[in-house]
Amino acid sequence: MKRNLAILLIGLFLMQCAPARYVKPLKKNEQVACFTFGGPIIQFAGAAIPIPFTTIGYGRGLTDKVTGYANLHSTSLLFSNLQFDLGTSIALYQKEKKYGFSASPALQIATSLKAKNSFRLWPSADLNFYYHPKKKESYCYAGLNAWFDLTSTKSHQEPQTTHVLPNMQGGYVLMKDKWQHQFQLSYYGIGIANLPNVPSYVGVAQKGSLGFHYALIRKF
Amino acid sequence: MKYIIHITVCALVAFSSCLKLDNNFYNKKTLSTYELDAYTGDQDFILDATYTIPSSLISLFTVPSQTAKESSPTNIYSIYIGDINKISTDTVILYCHGNKWHMDFYWQRAKLLANVKGKNHFGVMFMDFRGYGLSGGEPSEEGMYADVDACMQWLKSKGLTDQRLIIYGFSMGTAAATELCSKPRTLKPSKLILEAPFASAEVMVQDAARINMPAAYVTDLKIDNAEEIKNVKQPFLWIHGLNDNFLNYKTHGEVVYKNYSGVYGSSYMVEGADHGEVPSKMGFEQYKKVIGDFIVKP
Repeated sequence: MKRNLAILLIGLFLMQCAPARYVKPLKKNEQVACFTFGGPIIQFAGAAIPIPFTTIGYGRGLTDKVTGYANLHSTSLLFSNLQFDLGTSIALYQKEKKYGFSASPALQIATSLKAKNSFRLWPSADLNFYYHPKKKESYCYAGLNAWFDLTSTKSHQEPQTTHVLPNMQGGYVLMKDKWQHQFQLSYYGIGIANLPNVPSYVGVAQKGSLGFHYALIRKF
Repeated sequence: MKYIIHITVCALVAFSSCLKLDNNFYNKKTLSTYELDAYTGDQDFILDATYTIPSSLISLFTVPSQTAKESSPTNIYSIYIGDINKISTDTVILYCHGNKWHMDFYWQRAKLLANVKGKNHFGVMFMDFRGYGLSGGEPSEEGMYADVDACMQWLKSKGLTDQRLIIYGFSMGTAAATELCSKPRTLKPSKLILEAPFASAEVMVQDAARINMPAAYVTDLKIDNAEEIKNVKQPFLWIHGLNDNFLNYKTHGEVVYKNYSGVYGSSYMVEGADHGEVPSKMGFEQYKKVIGDFIVKP
């Protein structure tokens, strides 16, 4: 059977379709709009390409240490699914223009606009370290992320055996006056063997999947 | 900026529900003519000359197929291997092929079945679903079921009865084979053979996503062999490659087999076989024996 792109898309349609959000929290009352592009890397027609997931969203500094955000997963919407991620980015420790740690608990919420009983909610969490090289505004970061599936069964009442999807990421945020460009490399499903299945993930030793994301962020 | 976001969101909402992946499920290819033995394109395996079928026993023709929602029939190209005049007394294997290309690709498989228990011992019929090969129309799940039923109508018109009809589905074709055993239309097949079956569209999505994601997020396909098999009481043979990289034998085939509660179920796992490799890895002689013994088992 042909393993074409569209079927491949099934594989990780919801999984990790965006980069880490606001690794360095915004200043109080600072507002941004955000567009992200990218996803897990798959083999397609002999080339490795990121699945082109997109999201659009809004973030606001609630305090100098806490940023709230909401994002609509626009690719998902094109498939008649309403998918959001809602969360906060919290500065755990920061030394201005040097380094810091942040955490980001979030809820991944999705439902099909066409099918009943399709509502799903997955909690997720990020923990990141960021560092400002040469004390510049721009910074690089690295961290861990996990999605949690709290269900005990999947289709046909088969047991759901995967409850935690651990991921890691590293990236760079290029700060301009009004704009930010975020580039992120990810490794999804750390240590989870790729089941014999449709998607041809580009993983490590047939485990997990590498990913690439880009985010364009505009302050206003 | 807010204005841009509003416009973008409105556009996305307006275009939402435009996309589904269903059409990509059907890996069809059209042809200008059927070549059968002369076909040189990609095939899972090629049989030697001992499996050759006399041309007098190969009939290519069309059958009209119409779903409940259609106002006119679609011409479905079919091949019958065997003596059409003996359908009223022969046992016939109705083969529902996978999602790839056309009957030329599956010709070797049909020939292999026509050699089970001896050359042309059983009649074999298979068809190109709508949109495949030279068949008209566009593929759809309901269309696929109608196309297989159209072949049953033709077989019935030649004198075939329920008791002498065996239905065999491979991969995507397992959906039609299981559906028409579970909810018989023109004929009720007496036995069901599934090679590398789907459990359901849901399992396919969840296997790949690893999380409990509804299939409805990406597809409208209702294929659900794991549920349909619960209504199948006919004897059932499940064959699957242990190295199936497309439809995992554990998450797909085993779920279907577990849900079967009919009169007789049998399974045959093939060591080292990937999705299209069951007959070749099994060995053609062994394959014919397993299929033949299942068909003739009282």
